[in-house]
Amino acid sequence: MKLAILYGTETGNAEMLAEDLQSALEADHEVSVANLSDIAPEDLDGDTFYLVVCSTYGDGELPASAQPFGAALDAGDPDLSHVHFAIFGLGDSAYPDTFNGGSAVLAAALAQRGATMIGDRVTHDASGPDLAEDLALPWAEAVIAEAATRLGAAA
Amino acid sequence: MTRHVAIVGAGPSGCFLAQALLKARPDLAVDLIDRLPVPYGLVRYGVAADHQGTKAIARQFARLFERQGARFHGNVEIGRDVPLAALREAYDAVVLASGLSGDRTPDLAGLPLAGVHGAGALTRALYDHPDAGPLPDLGAHPLILGNGNVALDILRLLAKTPDELDGSDLGPRATRWLADSGIETITIVGRSPAAQARFDPVMVRELGALQGVSITVEAAPPGADDAGEKVLAALAQIDGTATGPRRIAFRFGLTPTGVVGEGGRIVALTVTRPDGVAETLPCTALVTAIGFRGDGTLPTDEGPGLYKAGWFARGPRGTIPENRADAQALALRILADLDADPDAPAKPGAAVLDRCRDRVDYDGWSRIDAAELAAAPANRCRQKLDTRAAMLALACRTEETQP
Ligand SMILES: Cc1cc2nc3c(=O)[nH]c(=O)nc-3n(C[C@H](O)[C@H](O)[C@H](O)COP(=O)(O)OP(=O)(O)OC[C@H]3O[C@@H](n4cnc5c(N)ncnc54)[C@H](O)[C@@H]3O)c2cc1C
Ligand SMILES: Cc1cc2nc3c(=O)[nH]c(=O)nc-3n(C[C@H](O)[C@H](O)[C@H](O)COP(=O)(O)O)c2cc1C
Repeated sequence: MKLAILYGTETGNAEMLAEDLQSALEADHEVSVANLSDIAPEDLDGDTFYLVVCSTYGDGELPASAQPFGAALDAGDPDLSHVHFAIFGLGDSAYPDTFNGGSAVLAAALAQRGATMIGDRVTHDASGPDLAEDLALPWAEAVIAEAATRLGAAA
Repeated sequence: MTRHVAIVGAGPSGCFLAQALLKARPDLAVDLIDRLPVPYGLVRYGVAADHQGTKAIARQFARLFERQGARFHGNVEIGRDVPLAALREAYDAVVLASGLSGDRTPDLAGLPLAGVHGAGALTRALYDHPDAGPLPDLGAHPLILGNGNVALDILRLLAKTPDELDGSDLGPRATRWLADSGIETITIVGRSPAAQARFDPVMVRELGALQGVSITVEAAPPGADDAGEKVLAALAQIDGTATGPRRIAFRFGLTPTGVVGEGGRIVALTVTRPDGVAETLPCTALVTAIGFRGDGTLPTDEGPGLYKAGWFARGPRGTIPENRADAQALALRILADLDADPDAPAKPGAAVLDRCRDRVDYDGWSRIDAAELAAAPANRCRQKLDTRAAMLALACRTEETQP
């Protein structure tokens, strides 16, 4: 099973986390990292398990680098029923009404196009005590284990 | 041959630029120079003490020095300790990312008067900036002039009860000052109509969660664009909030015309209402949050090998995210210029800074950082050192046991 970490960011925290995850996972997996700004929904394939890491801006919206991808999901009619993903959100509870809205919007948009979400969406709070990588690494290991059984060793 | 880039100012724009440069070209020598002994500019001294999530960006910047190979040179002021011309001689590229620290002051009949304070000077005093003056007496009825997020930050801090500052990095002096302020009313006055206020709607709504306030918002005339609608909706949502005695009044569309003083101290702001009628707004102090300007010590024009970034380039507008996008574009421009001149004579780089006494490197800052985190009382996440002497004592400590 190949892994691809896709990040949506505006100030770089999600990008840094994506790189941390790659370093932590590459000993045991084949892992690529890409900015969502460089990816179109049609690029997603069924052999790869996608780890999506995405922050929140504005009023619970996608960060700048994820907006073209989000718009493509909304505008086109891509069939993502072969795609498996898990998602980790970055946000800040100083924005209580829209806390981690970005990752929620993106997860819903992917599911809307038929993609299968593995595990629960886990979120980081920039105002909280935890470091993002301390939450994201256990998340990644858990969803990868689950994906391996679901996608099967064949993939 | 190593190419050397000096960035003057280790705020967000300088740090994002260094990040983009080193990501593209890890072999560059990138030096971040700041006149303060500590890095990160307004992330440390502007972003509000109770918005720690926003300050978390500093972790990314720490990586610059810890993994990407950038070097920090603190306590070095370009233009004073090292002439800009000498810096340009020593580096292939010099970037001015020195921000805009001066307060723009209103041009009002009757100024100057005691009791009138710029938002930058006030926030620096609140946040323990080593060059800040003392915290002023604002009296019971301060008035805030301005319609941006800085005005909202100040309003929120002045309005908060002591408990609402838990988890912040507000220092003991500012904490005592706020607790003893005796503030009864805070009026926030904007020149433009409410729909054109440059408030972030999220920050407006944040006021609705305050624990000790009664908020009134002057009715807004209709006719707004989308962004204006969001601000109006947020203002309507907080209008009528009644959780306590401190009164907050939002007023809009008032053009300031002058200040009234008694015994050399401000007692009122005079304004003209949208209907042309003059009004006198009594106050015990005036905080102006109407923008920032440079202090004129660094040139504002680019030249060969000389670039501008961040607020210094764009003016005092734009949040931290905008600095990143701009820095990435500027990095491409600098790299293209360096590549276009492959035979440039070799430059010495940071050796030009060697003459500076008490220069603080990244390890020095790390000692300050660790000491500040360790000194935090129970309800604070950090206690800043507030004098250069205290910072330098830690940062420039030399090993006495060395031969
Ligand atoms: C009060 C306030 C609150 C804010 N709150 C937020 C917020 O919550 N969220 C947000 O996204 N944005 C906020 N902003 C905006 C944000 O701070 C700016 O977008 C950002 O800091 C601009 O970055 P900069 O690097 O251009 O300037 P600065 O952050 O000002 O950094 C400039 C650096 O240059 C150094 N310097 C200056 N002159 C010299 C010299 N001659 N030699 C060497 N060094 C020098 C200074 O010491 C400073 O460290 C706020 C701004 C203010 C004023
Ligand atoms: C202008 C601005 C608006 C934000 N809006 C939200 C929000 O509505 N909800 C939220 O949970 N976090 C919000 N955040 C917090 C960011 O999502 C959080 O800081 C995150 O770590 C940023 O990650 P990035 O650097 O990858 O973009 C906002 C941050 C900024 C600067």
